[in-house]
Amino acid sequence: MTKSAELYDAIVNGNAKKAHAATQAAIDAGVEPMTLISESMVPAMDEVGRLFEEQEYFVPELLLAGRAMKGSMELLRPLMTASGEKLSTRVVIGTVHGDLHDIGKNIVASMLEGSGFEVIDLGVDVSPASFVAAVEKQKPQVVCLSALLTVTMPAMKTTIDALTSAGLRPRVKVLIGGAPVTVQYAREIGADGYSENASGAVGLVRNLLAEA
Amino acid sequence: MTGRERILALLAGRQPDRIPCMPITMTFAADILGVKYLQYVRDHRIMADAQAKTAEVFGLDYVSTISDPTREAADLGAPIQWYEDRPPAILENEALFADKAVLGEVQALQEITGGRMEDRVRGIELLRERVGSELFVEGWVEGPCAEAADLRGINRLMMDFSDDPDFVHDLFDFTLDVAIRFSIAQIQAGADIIGVGDAAASLVGPRIYKEFVWPWEKKLVDSIHANGGRVRLHICGNARRILDDIGALGCDMVDIDYPVSMELARSTTGPLQTLTGNLDPVRELRNGSPETIVRSLEALQQQAGAQWIVAAGCEVVRDTPHENMRAMVDFAQTHAANGVA
Repeated sequence: MTKSAELYDAIVNGNAKKAHAATQAAIDAGVEPMTLISESMVPAMDEVGRLFEEQEYFVPELLLAGRAMKGSMELLRPLMTASGEKLSTRVVIGTVHGDLHDIGKNIVASMLEGSGFEVIDLGVDVSPASFVAAVEKQKPQVVCLSALLTVTMPAMKTTIDALTSAGLRPRVKVLIGGAPVTVQYAREIGADGYSENASGAVGLVRNLLAEA
Repeated sequence: MTGRERILALLAGRQPDRIPCMPITMTFAADILGVKYLQYVRDHRIMADAQAKTAEVFGLDYVSTISDPTREAADLGAPIQWYEDRPPAILENEALFADKAVLGEVQALQEITGGRMEDRVRGIELLRERVGSELFVEGWVEGPCAEAADLRGINRLMMDFSDDPDFVHDLFDFTLDVAIRFSIAQIQAGADIIGVGDAAASLVGPRIYKEFVWPWEKKLVDSIHANGGRVRLHICGNARRILDDIGALGCDMVDIDYPVSMELARSTTGPLQTLTGNLDPVRELRNGSPETIVRSLEALQQQAGAQWIVAAGCEVVRDTPHENMRAMVDFAQTHAANGVA
């Protein structure tokens, strides 16, 4: 048994206790962490994303599913570290300097983590220097910038410029998102992509990495 | 007609001389006066000057004391992040009720004195005195869901609906009480209408909205009406799935934000509900041109019908070109309020 219907259901239903139990049961049954992630967790989060796009699920359901998924990952991560397995892609995400909004960013982070990416969440009000330091230290493939205010959007440009000045820009794909952000703005500031919503962000990361 | 008469006529179901125009201005108004936003939010005299000047420069029909979401939270003792030239913000990590037990320890608000809520009340008195014979004067409160998010932390609240519904009901009882007291103080100060900002409500979906939010919003609307006030409900974001419930609240005015089709808003709420909006503040009002703005407003007029007030879907952003703002106001001033473009 490689698929866990119990884990899939627990994540889609936002039940952290059942997700934890189902993950432990799968581990005890000898299922490999990467297999559990790809065959049960990723489809569950894809379904959660689809339900959000269809306006069947809303922010509470997404956060609960994200919490259930994270609980599962907490059991799997030590096993993966022990066996030297790594998730394919590392993403650094944060809300830009001067902006304290994080719900959208949190949902994107959950969706990316649940899709099998390793996510390092820098939190809110993240300075360009902090993004640069994180990219230097963590060596991600993708950087995601979130802003909810037109007055904080310029920090997206200064962050990209800071990555360029540090010689790091060619090493990462930069994605931007948030209510006032537009695809034109993404082009204007030299971002690699823009997503209107969380599920779009997952698809965008997958596409950008496929092109790379 | 004065701006005040125009809005009152529309709300009473009588056709005014032209379409009223009530865009939400905050940082935009501070910039018109040439002050930093910190001054605007700390001193009602500066806020009143900025609102009066903005209304005069652009020909708006009203002035508003909306400013930021933290007045109530600040007076209750929540830590606030202040900025020199931007609205103050809630510090979610230090939210007042990050620990649920604190709700049982905090005293219910008794008086609206000595703090930021009183500052808004003084602002209403001042605006009433200066421009109240000509312009509609708007007060503002955080809605029960928004204030709950401010005091608990929005990420925590979103999961509380499932984890601890009883706590949510108690929390909303608390925030409703604050909103009612603050509304009454503003009505007594002369506010013609109370804006109720409840943006968090557009994030929860219809199931949670019906159970947890609507009953408390309804109590607030009824209380404002019972105290002689009117309600402008502002749930920004994508409120498409809760439009029918919003329509059942009995608000005098409902703001429609840009993600919601005005056509759907009208068909769902019926012909008698006064709706405002809903130009996209960034993509249309800031980034568009006078020509594109007029075309959008013509389409909106067809969709919204007669019971409609011209506005952006949410706050006018601070670097909106003045010619775009003028184009929006000119449209309202040159068109009959009859739903026919």
